[in-house]
Amino acid sequence: MIDFTISEDQQIILDAVARFVRQELAPGMREAEQARTPSPAVVRHFEALGLMGLERPGTGLGMLTRCLVNAALAGGDAGAALALDRVGPAAHALLALGGDDLVDAIATDPNRRAWCATLADGQFRIDDKTIDGVLHWAPGGVTDLCILLPDGIALVRDGLHDERVRGSGLRAAAPVRVRLDRASLAQFRQTDPAPALDAARLYTASLLLGVLEAAASYARTYAQERVAFGRPIAHHQALAFLLVDMNTAVTGARLLLHDAAWRFDAGYPAAEAIATALAELIDQSRFVGPNGVQVLGGLGFMQDYPVEKYMREARALGLLHGGIDQARADAMRATGTALMAGGLI
Amino acid sequence: MEFALEPQVRAYVEALRDFGRTTIRPLGIERDRIGAPTPPDHPFFTEVLQRGLTRAPAVDGANGSTGAAVLRVISSQELAYWDRGVSSSLPGPGLGGGPVMSMGTPEQQARWMTRFRDLQTPRWAAFAMTEPGAGSDVARIQSRAVKSGDEWILNGAKLYSANADRADWIVVFATVDPALGRAGHRAFIVERGMPGLSDPRPEKKMGIKAYASASFTMNDLRLPANHLLGGEAHYQQRAGFKGAMQTFNATRPAIAANAVGMARSCLDEATAFAREAALMTPANLDRLEFMRRKIRGAWLMCLRAAWLADQGAPNMVEASMCKATAAEVAMECASLGMELLGVVGMQGEHLIEKLFRDVKAMDIVEGTGQIQRIVMARHLVNYPRD
Repeated sequence: MIDFTISEDQQIILDAVARFVRQELAPGMREAEQARTPSPAVVRHFEALGLMGLERPGTGLGMLTRCLVNAALAGGDAGAALALDRVGPAAHALLALGGDDLVDAIATDPNRRAWCATLADGQFRIDDKTIDGVLHWAPGGVTDLCILLPDGIALVRDGLHDERVRGSGLRAAAPVRVRLDRASLAQFRQTDPAPALDAARLYTASLLLGVLEAAASYARTYAQERVAFGRPIAHHQALAFLLVDMNTAVTGARLLLHDAAWRFDAGYPAAEAIATALAELIDQSRFVGPNGVQVLGGLGFMQDYPVEKYMREARALGLLHGGIDQARADAMRATGTALMAGGLI
Repeated sequence: MEFALEPQVRAYVEALRDFGRTTIRPLGIERDRIGAPTPPDHPFFTEVLQRGLTRAPAVDGANGSTGAAVLRVISSQELAYWDRGVSSSLPGPGLGGGPVMSMGTPEQQARWMTRFRDLQTPRWAAFAMTEPGAGSDVARIQSRAVKSGDEWILNGAKLYSANADRADWIVVFATVDPALGRAGHRAFIVERGMPGLSDPRPEKKMGIKAYASASFTMNDLRLPANHLLGGEAHYQQRAGFKGAMQTFNATRPAIAANAVGMARSCLDEATAFAREAALMTPANLDRLEFMRRKIRGAWLMCLRAAWLADQGAPNMVEASMCKATAAEVAMECASLGMELLGVVGMQGEHLIEKLFRDVKAMDIVEGTGQIQRIVMARHLVNYPRD
């Protein structure tokens, strides 16, 4: 059947996340960006929420719940959201490598942080036992790096050297370039990396959705308050239509994401739907991000308002895992291309 | 959340699909070549009735938890995939049914709607709002209704009324006073053959030729008082215009679903052409990916708008959103399909070329994309009405 209802369990989690975002994450956005890390209090409260690894199949929540949570977190501060969740987009890669024990070990140890990278995220030289090269972007302090290879997943735990980078967005995640210097490939599992990639894509896509929702919503509220030529700027048709189109863009991308995450959880072929949702989010981020700034005019360009941050972070999130080019190529390669799960339409 | 179809709905879609492939599509292509609507005595209409595939979903009650509105977007999508013109020609009350059911008295509903339960004889009804001087701005209609004793006298001209050429009756909107704007609107039932009603004349269209978009005039057309939908009391609550808008609100997701079906048709034809002609180039893969992605998004918007309607929840924004989006997506898909065909598209013989002409209507009928944006802007940013 068709049902767009958010379950009671999901709603309880979302209510708690919304409180956290409203009271702590969003207000601390600029400080976290400046300090390149969320405040200790924010970290403490986040850890207490118990959100890390919630998408594991055993929890009964799944990737759809992860997507709902991530969008809410990213609406507050996408960079901080990446910094706070030390399991992050790697949950399913870790599951494939070491099961729940590995996820739990990372989630409960504040000194460990996982990340999931694809070969498109860096330049690597791989031989039987080691991997060298550079991962162009990761949150700082990664201890457990999952690398999705064509024939399996590698877990790299040594030979990782962070080099601080300025970061175009997501600065609260303390962005780094990671040098891999004869890093050991001892922990390699031959397996289809597709589910781990699908899950990682859903993870970052949902952060991107949250940023776009925030940008469209902020612009919409502002435009109803700011007066020009004798009326709120939202009541000039050029801007009214732009705001409407921004809302439509975000809504369409959200629906694609939810459908894709639902397919993943329900066990339908989901690779195409996921790559499609990601491609659409990235596509629309080029429309919504800059126009969020445009609606605020000069003010939007200033760091007193969040829209310039939304624009930078939306652009940055859309570059991970091979970005839109890889997503579009994968969407065309994948099977299970029907409009609706289960085919027919 | 859940995004899959139950077995009963799948079976219904499969039945539509079979009929679409064998009958609807060939008829649509034939009527496009001929350039005129399917005649009302064509055996197709009797067959479609007997198969229970008429426009209003005839499968209510047998589909578990899928609501009527969701079922309607699913059937609208599938029918238009095979031919939107033919799907609009199907017997039934059409757009006229909405106002009668939402505004009409029980007596009026019985008098004008009961006949559509007969599945032996094809019958149509129609809806007439648009005029030569009033399209998007429906508040500007000039057709006049004057009360004279127990009768109403109607004068004016109506354009582009679907199936009006064969309709038993037409819901006609007219004004008692143009200065009153929407508050002056009244809806009447005008029956075929009434003195003063000209023969509705099918217009020559660029596409969707299988059904008639007919225009007619009313010259001192006299109607008994009980042809006023809802009776006088209904309009004392100044609900005349709302009655029409109610219709659009309920039907926009279905029109959007039509557009999705046509877009999907473009995608399938373009994919098949690219495969057969060994044209799966990077540029064409980009085109196909774009089409598929946009279609999927528009389709989910249709489902959501319809699902909200089934929940009895407000869906004004969602209904306008899916209508505006799906129509643009369909046009884009047809244009990209033509690009993919290259000069073959110029021959005017490929189905995508027909779809290219057909789909443009979808961004115009039942509220243009611009009107849909105004509706959304009113809800989203409190855009002023005047």
